[in-house]
Amino acid sequence: MNEHPTVPTVPFAPFERRLSAYLVALWRLRAPIRPMRADANSTLPRRLRLTDGLIWVPDSLPGVHADQAAGLYRAALVHAGAHLRFSGPRFPVGTLKPIQVALVSLIEDARVEHLAMRDYPGLLHVWRPFHVAEGGGTPNAPGLMARLARALIDPDHDDGDAWVKKGRSLFFDGRAEWETHEFSRRVGGLLGNDLGQMRLSFNPKTHVVEPAYRDDNLGLWESNLPASAEGETAYESLRTEREERDDGRSDDASPGAEVEERGPVTETPACPAGEEEMAAPPALYSEWDYRIARERPNWVRVVERVPGVEDPVEVRNAATRHAAVADRLAALVRAAGVGRPRRLRRQLEGDRLDLDACIEVMVSRCRNEIPDPRVHAALQHRARDLSALLLLDVSASTGDQVPDGARPVLAVERDAAALFATALDCIGDRFAIHAFRSNGRSNVSYYRLKNFAQAYDDTAMARLASLSPGLSTRLGAALRHGGRLLARQSSHRRLLLVVTDGEPSDIDVADRRLLVEDARQVVFSLAAQGIDVFGIGLDPGGQDCLTRMFGPRNSTVVDRVERLADLLPNLFLTLSR
Amino acid sequence: MALNAYRITEEPYYHSIGNEIALFDAAYAARMPMMLKGPTGSGKTRFVEHMAWRLGRPLVTVACHEDMTASDLVGRFLLDAGGTVWHDGPLTQAVRHGGICYLDEIVEARQDTTVVIHPLTDSRRVLPLEKRGELVAAHPDFQLVISYNPGYQSVLKDLKESTKQRFAAIEFGHPSSDAETRIVCTEAGVPEEIAARLVRIAVSSRNLKGHGLREGASTRMLVHAARLVARGVALATACDIALVLPITDDADLRDAVRAAIAAVAA
Ligand SMILES: Nc1ncnc2c1ncn2[C@@H]1O[C@H](COP(=O)(O)OP(=O)(O)OP(=O)(O)O)[C@@H](O)[C@H]1O
Ligand SMILES: [Mg+2]
Repeated sequence: MNEHPTVPTVPFAPFERRLSAYLVALWRLRAPIRPMRADANSTLPRRLRLTDGLIWVPDSLPGVHADQAAGLYRAALVHAGAHLRFSGPRFPVGTLKPIQVALVSLIEDARVEHLAMRDYPGLLHVWRPFHVAEGGGTPNAPGLMARLARALIDPDHDDGDAWVKKGRSLFFDGRAEWETHEFSRRVGGLLGNDLGQMRLSFNPKTHVVEPAYRDDNLGLWESNLPASAEGETAYESLRTEREERDDGRSDDASPGAEVEERGPVTETPACPAGEEEMAAPPALYSEWDYRIARERPNWVRVVERVPGVEDPVEVRNAATRHAAVADRLAALVRAAGVGRPRRLRRQLEGDRLDLDACIEVMVSRCRNEIPDPRVHAALQHRARDLSALLLLDVSASTGDQVPDGARPVLAVERDAAALFATALDCIGDRFAIHAFRSNGRSNVSYYRLKNFAQAYDDTAMARLASLSPGLSTRLGAALRHGGRLLARQSSHRRLLLVVTDGEPSDIDVADRRLLVEDARQVVFSLAAQGIDVFGIGLDPGGQDCLTRMFGPRNSTVVDRVERLADLLPNLFLTLSR
Repeated sequence: MALNAYRITEEPYYHSIGNEIALFDAAYAARMPMMLKGPTGSGKTRFVEHMAWRLGRPLVTVACHEDMTASDLVGRFLLDAGGTVWHDGPLTQAVRHGGICYLDEIVEARQDTTVVIHPLTDSRRVLPLEKRGELVAAHPDFQLVISYNPGYQSVLKDLKESTKQRFAAIEFGHPSSDAETRIVCTEAGVPEEIAARLVRIAVSSRNLKGHGLREGASTRMLVHAARLVARGVALATACDIALVLPITDDADLRDAVRAAIAAVAA
């Protein structure tokens, strides 16, 4: 590829959603894609990287023309997908020389691509355009390797070099062994040995994998052997980025350490200083413990707290910030026919005659019966009898940045809640917006941001604006409390929508299943009271846990958090149509 | 003879994907009300047609909708020159003359409409015609079949428990790739290789179910695409108009499905 330092870079972000959908379509791969940023020396990573099932993609690939960028990102993601689908466990480096390591990686690249093309022959056209290496000039190791890579995907391309030809026959003659990744190790080792004996210079520190769509192949090797100097620093930056991420998650609690105290909560728990004011006396709820298949009575304590107040302008402007979404929603509300009038038949009075009723009058007359005088039809606005409670998770993990980097998850939740509120306001359904977080079983905080009876006005917006992330997610307790409040609504249908960032967790629970099973139990019991609970997950990896808690029909995972603002009100409209 | 118009004289093509034919036979022998569950376009309608033909019973189909009233099912009085005449609705016709009545997409009907089937679907097997003051005992050959698409994520639209629990159910999933290939070949008259490729495309679109798509491509969509191919439309174009465009308006997902279609092609 022609890599000109002067061409403007094309960022990856606009392509992410479609390409991750593509991997799902091809292989049901839900590989998390993470941005890989420049390291401390501000060297931009030049290739993708795969580690432990994650795909790290540079924010932009330098030196790629705009018209090639879409194709390159696609080729890169599918190549990464092929590795995730077909590459086996990491290779041990053992006694391999650096050049052999590079060749084993190269053969492995070709092997996984060919396995992918067995199912999807069309992928050839995704990858082949990037293989442009030609012979000529003084032979050097990187040049020969790029030519070999080309010969392996484009066997009809005539390359005069004997080593390239040998590699091509070794590769294609061994096609029966492609299924095993030992194949790459053997053939790559052989070819690397040959290349080493040609005494061509090869500098592992500066070597960059070609063509540009291929990842740096670090993820193929057991030790964190850096393929190049750049790789090394990039690897460091990657490590720190991951550690930062992991810090925010509480699921690393030392396994097996049972921190739970026994016995019901006492009424005098030690409240940390500086806590928000209580809005109502605490309520005690039981919690389901699957290990004893019983509820522990009076186990958790939910405290309603007075929400803070902030400048509502941020929230009020959510609609302007998401103008396209807001417009689409307004159209959907109209199209949902919520406000659409309904024809009422058999009315005593109305603006037109009801033909069926008139016929019946005639029928009755003929049969000498007293006719039913209700022969009119009228139009009436459809009465919806629905109460909805939107419950927001505001635990610490909602402080994580959205993958697009600009805002925390909570800001997206807030925008989504604002759009949701605007839509429901238009429809006229009764709704409430509440939030929760927890700090151990004796301290589940619950905030009523907008109540059923309140209008969605500046006060509600100011409360919504005041939300800040912190503490943990004891979902079941919040559901019980929200469910109790919703149950008091006398409407025909009651819907509880929960937005949560991944798995429930709390500081005093080591067993990750416990809170999941508890939430599941609550969902069952609310369903029995005629309350439908629907879960929306913000963590793409949390599908299984979400399905376990809410059931497959009543849960969904947002593939990109940014889309929550779009999805949430839409989902409500679908659910309540 | 009544219901002659509803008799199926030629065998509707149906490719069995499990033991559903035997199960339905047994349920019919017991005159048990049946519920066919499954995503749209998975062959439910075709299956009842086939069973009605096998069993030699007339098939009365009613597509349910929101504005449907009980009279639309049961019947009403109409006027004629001589006075009033009662007209049996489709359900009553099937009940009287021993047909199979298929209520398609029953969840679309309002719940006060669906309750008219309750006395028919328990041991009473009668249909009260209130307006007429008549109690119609079901013909011994009568059977009620409903279809129900559980994919609907609408909490407001669901069957009442008391309705649901009157039925035995057969589940229709997507057929295995081989079976689906055969179905597409037969229905559209395309070479097996084309059909197989369409099925591969469908499988990748179904992978996206729950990840942006509400449903993957149905067998019906594949048959549509294949019929276009049989009339000379290029495969990619046929897939575009029969599959990609109808299935989603989301540009990113369209791109992903299109790319998967290109990946399947040689
Ligand atoms: N098992 C099958 N055998 C033969 N044809 C099938 C089969 N499954 C699907 N088809 C094809 O798919 C088309 C759609 O099937 P059908 O109309 O029976 O779907 P359905 O399940 O009733 O859908 P809906 O819920 O939308 O009514 C049929 O016309 C037929 O071409
Ligand atoms: Mg690679």
